[in-house]
Amino acid sequence: MGAEDKFDLIVVGGGPAGLTAAYVAAKAGLQVIVLERGDFCGSKNMFGGIFFTNVLRQIMPDFEKDAPLERVIVRRRWSLMTPDGELAGEFRFKKFGEPPHNNGFTVLRSKFDKWFAGKVEEAGAMIITGAVVDDVILDGGRIKGVKARLEDGQIYGDMVILADGVNSLVAKKLQLHKELDPEDAIVSVKEVIALPEERIRDRFGLTGNEGMACEYFGASVKGALGSGYIYTNKDTISVGIGGTVKSLTERKLNPNDGLEYFKNHPVIAPLIRDGEQKEYSAHLLPDGGFDKMSELVTDNVMVAGDAAGLVDASLFHEGTNLAMESGRLAGEVAVEAKAKKDFSKASLSAYADRMSDSFVMKDLKKFRKLSRTLEHNPHLFEKYPRIMEEFVRDMFTVDGEPKNKKQARLLKRLLKEESIFGFIKTALAARRVII
Amino acid sequence: MEDKLSLDKFKPFTETHLKIKKGVNARELIEGKLFICPAKVYELNDKGEAIVSFENCLECGTCRVVAPDEIEWEYPQGGYGVTLRFG
Repeated sequence: MGAEDKFDLIVVGGGPAGLTAAYVAAKAGLQVIVLERGDFCGSKNMFGGIFFTNVLRQIMPDFEKDAPLERVIVRRRWSLMTPDGELAGEFRFKKFGEPPHNNGFTVLRSKFDKWFAGKVEEAGAMIITGAVVDDVILDGGRIKGVKARLEDGQIYGDMVILADGVNSLVAKKLQLHKELDPEDAIVSVKEVIALPEERIRDRFGLTGNEGMACEYFGASVKGALGSGYIYTNKDTISVGIGGTVKSLTERKLNPNDGLEYFKNHPVIAPLIRDGEQKEYSAHLLPDGGFDKMSELVTDNVMVAGDAAGLVDASLFHEGTNLAMESGRLAGEVAVEAKAKKDFSKASLSAYADRMSDSFVMKDLKKFRKLSRTLEHNPHLFEKYPRIMEEFVRDMFTVDGEPKNKKQARLLKRLLKEESIFGFIKTALAARRVII
Repeated sequence: MEDKLSLDKFKPFTETHLKIKKGVNARELIEGKLFICPAKVYELNDKGEAIVSFENCLECGTCRVVAPDEIEWEYPQGGYGVTLRFG
């Protein structure tokens, strides 16, 4: 493309962050181009499960009409896994099954992102697929566009939004982001397994299009720092695990072997039985949280979504909505910058300011110590699940021993394994997972 | 692993997008770090040489994070590589 085809905004990456930015900017009349490296938007994108639609609803109130949503999350369950059992808690709210559905739906990203890309094109943005962006075009120290691996791949624009996902090589080249540390990167692998709709409803206790999210902590990944999950889709289930690259490396555990361990666990095996494997995929998540986030702004450039490190890996497992909010705010600021014809860092820093005021940064800040907490308390993944199981199992074992006697005996035995101080310290630390 | 990867849709490019840098001890690298690849792209042959099956790459970037100094990693050519049908 020649310099005469100058765009107002170039968006690198057709995932939730980039597509949202493009949608907002194109709706406001900007000339927008989205560069996506896959065959179509969504073809390289994977996540657990739940797409949180609070931001989508804001920009497209009627999305439920035709979005490829799998199931409405009415039931969430968290389990502490032991080597051959579990202790669990859950909620199930009928209210979440009614509009606005608590903005939580299972989706399959290959279908969902493709649908969203269609809406972005309808809004007036141009989407070029099969376009890998390797670098920016510099002119007199200012970024004037990007270099895509295409014929005539020099693409010029006033502004660039980098929403190219967790690996975001361009943001790293611009030194907005350092390389991810192995302790700040979670690798997740999952299988999509087909089961008849009726079987999914019966197995997970669901009606109609109700869906369930199950998350498994403790010994779910063979004691590595990680967790497992099952999400119910319409006629498939997503089954996967995630663990920090550091922890899996230290334990010499290949993620697929971790997934096989999880799938064969006596708690999981009956839930996925007789299913037909449809797909195996792997993806990284940025887990550095608030303290390891990317710079959000520089002259002519804003960074959004996973590329900026926006994932809340606490119990809430939110990511797609953080990505979309960052895309929405970056898109808005791009529109304002265009009106002012000022694309400097000072002008675009309105994006960083609005992010600070948004739920994205507030939530990331709240859980900023989480990943370090888990890192420093490895016994949450091995020793504690075992101790807790022993306590609960023994208390519920019916053998004629009086409960008071059981309790005293168990406390005595547990205190041999861990001091009261140790328990309290870990409990206080673990609290950060939720509150 | 082959069974699982055969579920996926791949369109391999002619050239590798993953390279082990010159001078790196492949055995140490693969046994110490790259065994973590979810698609087991990096393996040793009988002679202890590295086999990089880039055509099986799921493009997650884990190898890049675990061995940033020992490998060269880039995205495959646009439109090539894995295409997720579910995701």
